[in-house]
Amino acid sequence: MICEQTKLALQKLFPPPEPQEDILEETDEEQDKKVAKKPRPNGLVERDYAVHGYHLDAQLDPNQLLEAVTILDEAEFFIESITGVDWIKDDQLEVVYDFARYDFDLCRVVIRTRVDRKEPAVPTITKIYDGANWHERETHEFFGIKFEGHPHLIPLLLPEDADFHPLLKDFKA
Amino acid sequence: MGTKNVPPSIVQFALADKIINIGRANSLWPLTFGIACCAIEMMATGCARFDMSRFGAEVFRPSARQSDVMIVAGTITKKMMPGIKTLYDQMPEPKWVMALGNCAISGGPFAFEGQYSIILGADEFLPVDVYVPGCPPRPEALLQGIIELEHLVSDWKRWKDPEAA
Amino acid sequence: MNAPIELQPDETFILNVGPQHPATHGVLRVKMEMNGEYIVEAETVIGYIHRMHEKMGEVKTYPQYLMNLSRMDYLGALGYSHGHVLLVEKASGIEVPERAEYIRAIMVELNRVSSHLFWFGAFVMDLGGFSPLMYALQDREHILDMLEAVTGSRLTYCYFRFGGVYNDVDDEFISSARRFIPRMRKSLKKYHKLVTGNVIFRKRLEGIAPVSQEMCRKYGASSAVARGSGINFDVRKNEPYSVYPEFDFDVPVFHECDSLARYNVRMEEIEQSLRIIEQGLDKLPDGPIMPKKKPKIIKPPAGDYYQAVETARGSFGIRLVSDGGKIPYRLKLRSPTYSNMHLFDEACRGMMIMDALAFMGSLDLVIPEIDR
Repeated sequence: MICEQTKLALQKLFPPPEPQEDILEETDEEQDKKVAKKPRPNGLVERDYAVHGYHLDAQLDPNQLLEAVTILDEAEFFIESITGVDWIKDDQLEVVYDFARYDFDLCRVVIRTRVDRKEPAVPTITKIYDGANWHERETHEFFGIKFEGHPHLIPLLLPEDADFHPLLKDFKA
Repeated sequence: MGTKNVPPSIVQFALADKIINIGRANSLWPLTFGIACCAIEMMATGCARFDMSRFGAEVFRPSARQSDVMIVAGTITKKMMPGIKTLYDQMPEPKWVMALGNCAISGGPFAFEGQYSIILGADEFLPVDVYVPGCPPRPEALLQGIIELEHLVSDWKRWKDPEAA
Repeated sequence: MNAPIELQPDETFILNVGPQHPATHGVLRVKMEMNGEYIVEAETVIGYIHRMHEKMGEVKTYPQYLMNLSRMDYLGALGYSHGHVLLVEKASGIEVPERAEYIRAIMVELNRVSSHLFWFGAFVMDLGGFSPLMYALQDREHILDMLEAVTGSRLTYCYFRFGGVYNDVDDEFISSARRFIPRMRKSLKKYHKLVTGNVIFRKRLEGIAPVSQEMCRKYGASSAVARGSGINFDVRKNEPYSVYPEFDFDVPVFHECDSLARYNVRMEEIEQSLRIIEQGLDKLPDGPIMPKKKPKIIKPPAGDYYQAVETARGSFGIRLVSDGGKIPYRLKLRSPTYSNMHLFDEACRGMMIMDALAFMGSLDLVIPEIDR
């Protein structure tokens, strides 16, 4: 099954999980608060398709991005969309890549990277997937994320001389 | 209104002007300027069931230089606005503008707090003669708008107003 | 008498197929660098109808957002609403009664037929034949009558609610839909006789604008662009949702990759949609149209959700990032025409301009969907 193969291929990008240390006795509430505040670590998670709508969810660093996308390109995925999410409370911007397949071997993969909100920069994947061109231009103009190596990073939907980024949470019209 | 700026002729032919205006009213040529959803209702009005050609207006001209009426059908964005102004300036006098749909009247459902991309209505930069509300307005409403415009163009009415008598 | 002008290979001029143009089906601008009649480079400029749907998703509550989806692609509006309500129901755990799901599927398929009819009329008008537009829009008016009697609108429907639909279908609708199906089949025969066999039509489309499978994959194309190139991809079969597994229908796939293949795919799709409507009307169960238990305020649990549906234009996807509140944190709309249109720049290099415009017609564009 392609899902298993892709999962194993993507798992190689991450170091193996460390063994759990002994945790002192804590009340349930304190444990919940701890889990809520910890940011999600880099890694591959399998999701319940019936609830979330996709199968694999990988969070990685921007410099691992090209490797992961090359794995998916060789496995014949198609690029569904690229978008951004503004996590203003964590002071980070997230870039989310969606991939899916054309054949009946159903597998939806989501790849995420998080970058700093003040100077967001992510390498471009237009060399691998041509269709990422417009998606990255749109993400750039709405969030201000720079895609390094993009051939033509000018606004797509807003007027050409627009210098504001509308989908940021602190944007005032 | 467009016709206000037309200087009166040196020799006044009252009857001829009247007849010419009735001729203008019965053959208004719209500019094909469908921007968004209202354009589909405009096309449906031009087609078989609602048949705008009963009123002489089925000849949609793509070129602004050959049209009388600009039917602004759809939301006007800040990116599109210079183009619309250019098209309006290219139309020869006498010319009229019809704002079709809520978006062209006042921004429609897209005028929300914090909007950054649309212009709230065609009358911010164009002199609008007839407003046709709806989202989208029914083809019958567009036909009513054409009839109102005909009354503006020439003082001649197609039929007696049933409420006036 | 007049010797033909020799084209200088390096002499090009820029032609602007501007935002206001009868062939661009909306406000789309293409800057073409031309060498005589041949296109050297084309650059598409979009954004002339950018109506901020994604920003509105962060400002409006879930029920307030229901009307936005119809304005995105107004020709196939119900398919988009379907994706949105399925997503929120999936995220919130709302159960949909079976009758409502069948009604939704029937309405979506009727809407798909009306969207393809409009595309057919506009496409043939692009190529120069004006009469099929009249016939197609007349047939479409019958569908709009049926839909208006139940939903109340002709074009921008706001019919689906979270959990079901708000108005039940009555016997009048069922009998008029049953009468419509054989009438539509007769009309399809008429269209095939009038248009598909026409020698001028075939010469303008056969072999023109080939789009390879690799190109489709790199750009993420779907619907007739992918199926006209031999890729068997239809979200209703590959990733079934709602009650589509209950229906027996085929997915038309043609392998020639040219504009005629894309045309044939859509004409076949009309026939398959009629089959689905027939089966839906036969299998329509009795029961309620809204669930008994529904939360008063829709607040999906925090997390990431995705739903893909097959609309008249391709695979439409919505991604919802929720933080547990009653307003979404981020709502991303993945529009199929955006990915299909992106192909145009690369595929039309070296084509003649009239072939490029016919290619644009075969992509079935609705510009407000690209710009959202």
